[in-house]
Amino acid sequence: MPLKGLKGKKALVTGAASGIGQAVAARLRKEGVEVFATDIHQTGDLIVCDLTDQGEVENLSGKLPGIDFLVNVAGGPVAPSRKNTLPDMPKSSVLLEDLSEQQWSGVIAANLTSAFLVCREFAPKMKARKFGRIVNFASIAARRGSSRVGVHYAAAKGGIIGLTKTLALELGSHNVTVNAIAPGYIKTERIARAGWGHDSLAAEKAFVESLPLRRAGKPDDIAGVVAMLCSEAGGYVSGATIDVNGGWYFGP
Amino acid sequence: MYYQTAMKTAIVTGAAKPDSIGFAVVQGLLEEGCAVVVADLYEEGFGGLKGCLCVKTDVSDPAAADAMVGKAVEKHGRIDFLVNAVGGSWGITQQDLRAPPPRGFRGLINCTLDDWRTILDANLDSAYYCSRAAAPYLKKQGGAIVNISSVAARKGIPPGAEGSSGPYAVAKAGVMAMTRQLALELGEFGVRVNCVAPGVVASGRLQKVIAFSKGNQIPEGSMSQIPMGRVGTVSEIAALVVALCTDDTSYMTGVVIDANGASYAA
Repeated sequence: MPLKGLKGKKALVTGAASGIGQAVAARLRKEGVEVFATDIHQTGDLIVCDLTDQGEVENLSGKLPGIDFLVNVAGGPVAPSRKNTLPDMPKSSVLLEDLSEQQWSGVIAANLTSAFLVCREFAPKMKARKFGRIVNFASIAARRGSSRVGVHYAAAKGGIIGLTKTLALELGSHNVTVNAIAPGYIKTERIARAGWGHDSLAAEKAFVESLPLRRAGKPDDIAGVVAMLCSEAGGYVSGATIDVNGGWYFGP
Repeated sequence: MYYQTAMKTAIVTGAAKPDSIGFAVVQGLLEEGCAVVVADLYEEGFGGLKGCLCVKTDVSDPAAADAMVGKAVEKHGRIDFLVNAVGGSWGITQQDLRAPPPRGFRGLINCTLDDWRTILDANLDSAYYCSRAAAPYLKKQGGAIVNISSVAARKGIPPGAEGSSGPYAVAKAGVMAMTRQLALELGEFGVRVNCVAPGVVASGRLQKVIAFSKGNQIPEGSMSQIPMGRVGTVSEIAALVVALCTDDTSYMTGVVIDANGASYAA
């Protein structure tokens, strides 16, 4: 059976040029959702938008009809630019003392400020329509910490969890739910390119085999959870952070 | 079929009362094309479960849980999903199955030792016995266990609240820990184990609590503490349980999904 409550709805999916965002857009379309997809870089028929720029976010909102599902996937451990939407991750662990203030600010902007600006733009409209589902993207880096991606990314994603909980309180009485998904090791194109960071296939294999589910995640594994949260199944779920990581970390 | 659930077999415990979460889960699994086995003490409800194998079972008795799983396997040859939905603070034994809810607050300090034992048996031990009995069959081809916990495990039952109990909060926290432990033990066999922790849900049990309460009293406190301003529906919670059986959640295990209208963000 198709998931209930998806067909005919309208969704905005950010960061949809590749990886998780692309899989989310495809999955929602398969369920009969009209999907508007954005990325910072021109790819296919995606709407180009720099979500860290308030003017561009306002402009984006002006072009769209009423949005039922807002899925804020845009982000990542390295700040993108118009020239490079999917910059490579560093090959090895990012240490605090090696981080510049510019890297810090760039990653906070790409992951946290973008979600703030997009929520601030679309949440009032959801309130007015008395319906909405917002799905933000946190990360296992915010849940258990990560020795790979750096404190800037973990802090930005931790910020997403706080934003999610507080917005859930603000919007609850307006029939708008707000949740976050915290993916674990999802083998997107960029992650696959970066490798496990120890320059060793054996290290990756050992890690994956230590997971209860014995495998890395796929973008579709995350898209299914987004679809679930937007469907009837997510109707009473709000303020939650859903860990999707094959059993790597169980949550609080 | 839309999902890979067709021709699969599910056991749902605590599903015979027509206004229960378990009953709604059964309807959802039937829609997905599953064969469904229901284990419950409430025989009067069996007539309403068309197409299911209903087995009268006291799941807080390990031998009875084993026998029920045996009947499921005998009929369908396999078990793919187990939903442990039996539970509650009252209406959970053969003796009090149809009784009205007891009045007054039953905390850990002022409940009887009989309350403690009965409530732990029904909410925690029952899920353990059924999981233990079904695990060998789940491991054969992979599958999923979904446990039902409660927001009570997160935040406790405030003194004064009627209709729930302190032992219930403790038992449901045990269900969360059991979810994580089983996830570790069963992951390598492709068996995912997850948990739904509902807030206040408009089940038949809630209606009975509201019937004797003054104004907006609900088991976990009051309505004003739910930011969404409403209780959950059994169909919302059931849809979440079904999603935890399907491939939509294929990379989730050991996880609790809180479904409480934003009343407690873990």
